[in-house]
Amino acid sequence: MKLWPVPQDQKGWWSLLAEPQFEPQQSAEPKTEKRNWLSWLWAEYSVIIAFVIIFVLAAVLNPRFLDINNQLNILMQVSIIGIVSLGMTMVMLSGGIDLSVGSVLAMVGVMSVLALNATGSIMAALIAACAVGSAAGFINGVLISKGKIASFIATLGMMSAARSIALYTADGGSVSGEVNGFSAIANSELGVVDYPIIIFLAMTALVYVLMNYTRFGRYVYAVGSNEKAAVLSTIRVDRVKIAVYSMAGFLVSIAAIIETSRLNSISSSSSGQLYELDAIAAVIIGGTRMTGGRGKVIGTFFGVLILGILNNMMNLMNVSPHLQGFVKGLIIIVAVLFQKRD
Amino acid sequence: MAFISMETIDKSFHQVKVLHQVNLDLGEGEIHALLGENGAGKSTLMNILGGVLQPDSGTIYVNGAPVSMTTPGDSQKLGISFIHQELNVVSDLRVYENMFLGSEIRNKAGFLNVEAMKQKTRDVLSRLGVSLDPSAYVRDLGTSHKQFIEISKALLRDSSVIIMDEPTTALSEHEISRLFELMTTLKESGVSIIYISHKLKEIKAICDRYTVLRDGFIAGTGSLEEEDPESITKMMVGRSVSQERFTREHVPGDEVMRVEDFSKTGLFQGIDFTIREGEIAGFTGLAGDGRTELFEALFGFRKKDSGSLYVHGKKVVVNHPNHALRAGIGLVPRDRKENAVIQDLSIVHNLTLSSLGHFEKNGFITKKQERKAFQRYKNELNIKARDPYASIATLSGGNQQKVVIAKWLEVNADVIIFDNPTQGIDVGAKREIYQHIVSLAEQGKSIIILSSEAPEILKMCEHIYVMYKGEITARLNRDETAEDEIMACATGSKRMVESIG
Repeated sequence: MKLWPVPQDQKGWWSLLAEPQFEPQQSAEPKTEKRNWLSWLWAEYSVIIAFVIIFVLAAVLNPRFLDINNQLNILMQVSIIGIVSLGMTMVMLSGGIDLSVGSVLAMVGVMSVLALNATGSIMAALIAACAVGSAAGFINGVLISKGKIASFIATLGMMSAARSIALYTADGGSVSGEVNGFSAIANSELGVVDYPIIIFLAMTALVYVLMNYTRFGRYVYAVGSNEKAAVLSTIRVDRVKIAVYSMAGFLVSIAAIIETSRLNSISSSSSGQLYELDAIAAVIIGGTRMTGGRGKVIGTFFGVLILGILNNMMNLMNVSPHLQGFVKGLIIIVAVLFQKRD
Repeated sequence: MAFISMETIDKSFHQVKVLHQVNLDLGEGEIHALLGENGAGKSTLMNILGGVLQPDSGTIYVNGAPVSMTTPGDSQKLGISFIHQELNVVSDLRVYENMFLGSEIRNKAGFLNVEAMKQKTRDVLSRLGVSLDPSAYVRDLGTSHKQFIEISKALLRDSSVIIMDEPTTALSEHEISRLFELMTTLKESGVSIIYISHKLKEIKAICDRYTVLRDGFIAGTGSLEEEDPESITKMMVGRSVSQERFTREHVPGDEVMRVEDFSKTGLFQGIDFTIREGEIAGFTGLAGDGRTELFEALFGFRKKDSGSLYVHGKKVVVNHPNHALRAGIGLVPRDRKENAVIQDLSIVHNLTLSSLGHFEKNGFITKKQERKAFQRYKNELNIKARDPYASIATLSGGNQQKVVIAKWLEVNADVIIFDNPTQGIDVGAKREIYQHIVSLAEQGKSIIILSSEAPEILKMCEHIYVMYKGEITARLNRDETAEDEIMACATGSKRMVESIG
């Protein structure tokens, strides 16, 4: 029995409710059909089941957990990593990996603050951020698809280079915004919900639609599953890869804007540290296969939430911060152990 | 008494029975030919003997004692060596390292005894009459040498039974005769050999007895002395091959595709041909004749040195399969699992992968349209599948191939190239695929079939091109040729380039 999702196709989990799974004339054996349906749900979306278990466990262990402010706090805390993880999901579905996300986030933050302070325009800061992040992703994509460098190596290089650019431009320290209103982006609320949460949910929906309802998404799965067959199916694999890494870079830009706006400053040395590992962890817990071709955006969404709940619980229960990495590592290993691999 | 006997072996894959109560007896010091068409169950039977697969029922006796072999290691311990058709050599290791892979000779301190391994390698190779440096890297060797390394490995293990699955496809005639000499020597020293091949002449020359499988049943077994190639062929196909041809009234239409002077150093040279509307042309030859590479280059998957391609009289530049698609050329590649099928995608997603534009509305894929296409091709091509969203890996080989064909039908290509279209497909589905191909030609599509099996080409194609070492050595009309002429041209012993009337 698969505990974590090993998806067979890219049907959304709500489309399950909306449309029949099988042609009507073929559901001759309702009993087996029902059992298949349950085992399918279990196999495909066990990350949701794991999420529910952890959620209930957390609620039982600490009554403060269910407090609406705590819940929103969790969502707020995971929003930045969550957005980065969405890009990482696309990259990993295509069969690659992106180690540069943390460094690029710092570089984008520094560049956007510089643009903000130089022009005094928030719009200029946003445009600069998106341009820098997407460009970094584009370079990754070109190196990987045209230069035929392994994604691990290419993005390792970008990781080092982007961090260095951030450190050099900010002289190793932090840069702060000097324009009123920039910090409002991440510190405003719609009702009780903070903007970063809304942006995270919106980006999740966007990436979900992109991966499940467009030609591009289908191509990403095909490339990750069998690159040679994808080329022979007339897919422009090089272009798909460049687009994937550029999209991932763009999502890092969005995350960087939130991170920078949150404190109205960014540290060139410490911001974004180890974000790549948290993002990869969320994607893996969400059931995406390391080698690509299988996985779900929804899985990553719940993978991010699981990591967020774990962090929150350990803080509520006063677990030493030095021990938190151990628990996180354990969860990742257990998640992958239970994934049925073929 | 038989040295090895397999009795009443049954085996099914996905509820499809591939072996029905099969018996096989192998005497000591006997060369036994195992014959049958592709998909007859030969490989399955041998994989059971090699410990790779487990039979559903039946028993294997070695020296009269029943044995159970659950891993290839068990089989090797009993002295059975399996030389697979696909070579299992590690290219980045040296010759002697490959020979002793997994059973290295070590000295007392536990380190590798390189000299001893090299010496033994040299001995074994010289028995085969091959001069090869044991320290050479396998990646630098030709296919025939790799084949000899595989055979030497079996000799090193002092095997009492050697299974050879089409060992001669990559060998030259000189090398084949050396292999046969060696097989005779082995036989005299008491080693038994199961020899799988399609080349009936070779079998007649070297084998003592035969067993013919057809559709998973034993079609015949006995001594080869009493049989001639024709009677064996009849047993293999259950009918006379030459009679089974798809013929049709066909008036050649306008030229659809013209290829001029396609060349790529080391793979193919100076290829010219023309395909007309509604024509079925066949390209055949031995393994390594360059036909797959030629059509991969034509399709834009592989680079070429020179050559021009004209479609409907207009010159087209094809540097990526996507350009070929736009020019109206489709390719159903060989090795379906590696090249054609995306295992992680569902049936319907595989079907629509090359033509997603047909299913888009405002930039989004409409699943309803996709399902409609699935239903249409399911009925049209008789694809046995229930759930369009099931993984394509759940389908049998024949049904997978039909999905791949449907993919190119949806693209609506004018020219469809089929590379080894019936590889790993059972006989029933094979016939269906032949019929679909013929009906495509009748609808005006131009069809090119690549196959190493001359009977398949003769069955399907009115124009036959034979390739040898990257060149077209013969252009034949089906009605004026026969299998032996094709074989002669494919082995390079005959050359007759003339234009088709």
